Amino acid sequence: MNLFKRAWWRLIGAPGKSLMLVGLFFVICSLVLSGFLIQSAAARAADSAKKHVGAVATMQLDVNGLLASGKNGGSEGGGQNPRTIGSAGDLKRDLVDKICQSSVVADCNYTADGAAFPTKSTTLYQPVPAPASQDTLGTDLFKVDGVRKLDELSDFRNGDSKMIAGKGIGPDTKKNEIVVEERVAEENKLRVGDKVKLKIGSLMPGVDTSEHEFEVIGIYKNSTADTGQYVPAMMAPANQVYTNIEGASLLGGKTTDGGGTLKSATFTLNDPNDLDQLKEDSKKAGADLQIFPISVNDKQYKTLVGPITKTASFATVTVWLVAVAGTIILALVVASNLRERRGELGILLSLGEKKPKLLGQHLVEVVACAVIAIALAGLGSQFLSEAIGNKLLTGEIDSASKEAENDSLQPDYSDPSGMSRQGDDQPKADPIDSLDVHLGPADIAKVGATGLGIAALATLVPGARVLRLNPRDILTKGD
Amino acid sequence: MTTSATTDTNAPRGKNAPILELADVNRTYSTGNRRRIVLKSVSYAFQAGRMYAIVGPSGSGKTTLLSLASGLDAPTSGSVRFQGRDVAQLGLGTYRNRHVATVFQSLNLLTYMNAVQNVTSAMEITGVRGGRRKQRANELLALLGIEPDDRTRRTLQLSGGQQQRVAIARALACEVDILFADEPTGALDHETAAGIIKVFQKLAHDDGKCVIVVTHSREVAAACDETLVLKRGKLMPQG
Repeated sequence: MNLFKRAWWRLIGAPGKSLMLVGLFFVICSLVLSGFLIQSAAARAADSAKKHVGAVATMQLDVNGLLASGKNGGSEGGGQNPRTIGSAGDLKRDLVDKICQSSVVADCNYTADGAAFPTKSTTLYQPVPAPASQDTLGTDLFKVDGVRKLDELSDFRNGDSKMIAGKGIGPDTKKNEIVVEERVAEENKLRVGDKVKLKIGSLMPGVDTSEHEFEVIGIYKNSTADTGQYVPAMMAPANQVYTNIEGASLLGGKTTDGGGTLKSATFTLNDPNDLDQLKEDSKKAGADLQIFPISVNDKQYKTLVGPITKTASFATVTVWLVAVAGTIILALVVASNLRERRGELGILLSLGEKKPKLLGQHLVEVVACAVIAIALAGLGSQFLSEAIGNKLLTGEIDSASKEAENDSLQPDYSDPSGMSRQGDDQPKADPIDSLDVHLGPADIAKVGATGLGIAALATLVPGARVLRLNPRDILTKGD
Repeated sequence: MTTSATTDTNAPRGKNAPILELADVNRTYSTGNRRRIVLKSVSYAFQAGRMYAIVGPSGSGKTTLLSLASGLDAPTSGSVRFQGRDVAQLGLGTYRNRHVATVFQSLNLLTYMNAVQNVTSAMEITGVRGGRRKQRANELLALLGIEPDDRTRRTLQLSGGQQQRVAIARALACEVDILFADEPTGALDHETAAGIIKVFQKLAHDDGKCVIVVTHSREVAAACDETLVLKRGKLMPQG
């Protein structure tokens, strides 16, 4: 107990030095604790974002995988034709519906693409005709998308398109029902309930190009205005027709067996880590993942948590830097104190005090200062970490926005047609722009352990050096 | 006077067996390639219940001898024995803690403590038992003429003479077998010095302790039972 008493007497006997040590520890502990708080806030935000947005896994045909599997030839359909993909390359709706039943899938959606030639009863919307020299055979078509739920398409979710009459496409939509854009409806004087004919939009030789009758069950309005210049009909938003999977498969010249042929399917997962389970469930449902691989699009999750994760990384680096620098600075301060107090050490050693107890006294003094500083840091760090964290986060968000702008200007080389819109199956996400900092016992425990570790290192390392000397040397040598 | 002959450590210890023996003690200091011999084959046996004065010119090695005898330092060769046992085997720390106390020439008080705290702190370190340490400290300080108000002042606020007396009180409080004092009256007036010599004499003659004083003072040397002269690294009885 004597060492505790001496430590106390020393702390109150040299208040200036004690306060300086408390101040130094306070700065170190505040920065370390702020780092921990930013880290834990980021972890909580990431966890919450995971639960909020989950992740979207996409399943679609991999042509290379199909060729490698050797299942492309010799099958029915176009398999014997070198320019077409056989039935093994058809992603069937029934299969995807089975996968949708997986426990890790929160929601699923799928699309089928097709095209349709206009007929006598249905003409394209083309406010500016094609130049005379333009070959329009491959582009004068309606673009037909087969969907499961129309209102889940990004255009409808973000308000670029909205229903103005009738109803949209849903799970109970029949294969001969369509939804058309307002301008096409006006061009053809169509109303909900009208029947129209569309011709299968395939130019492949040998593919049936017969006309099929469809009922208009809804009319939507797309907010994209006409450009006033010639646009190939298939590229004009007004010529976008929606139907269900079977309808799109039919107009795309593909088989409607098995509920129709999908272009791709998306599965919203509760947790991005559930991808392996989804793959397992897909195999059980009968999917060949070599031909139809599943990949996760966690773009939205990354958008949400990207800046905050970078902030947390910076905080981690800060924690380490401050901890190491703090240890070194404190070790120097304590070493300087020990040097100054060599006489005291010599006196106590001459009285027969044990060396570990001498070091213990110094440790108690430093730890006492550390404990006070940790308590003060606990009081102030919540505000400090919020201020620092939000400042850092703002910078990261700005830089992420600039990167996103640059990325949006880059062409998507993965899609030669330039028509695909990656990530459209997910709503736009704004990054998390504020830190929800909570100071908890675990944070205090962590900074306490760090602070006390620093105190121990800073005391014991220089202390051990001084105590190698014998008391006579300490008492007689000036340095 | 006890002779300088060393004793057999395994022999049974008689009533007049020495409490402290220096047996062929040598101490050499090396600085670079230079070696300086401070003590040469010093042998002497000190008895309990007696007060010794060690005198000698400055630089003769008196403080070095005191350091070796009090366990602050170890001899280059030879041995220091307490009650027949080599203090190196006993452990210098244990020897200092249990059996000896030293009043340093440079006082060496703990400056962040007051006079009473300096004394009680030493009592705690040396394991003086009992819950009356503070009272005992006050008694000793009173005996050495430290006024009550001065006892609770930081030692740096005390005069040199008062600090000297606090250092002596601290050594006395440890209730050890041997008391070493290096120029204990150097900072004191004649009257106070005389009082302290009386305390040392009482400690030796009434309490059976061994008191060894390094001094330049003829008065102090005259008050001791034996005076030893340290000259050219050799210790010998005066006269």
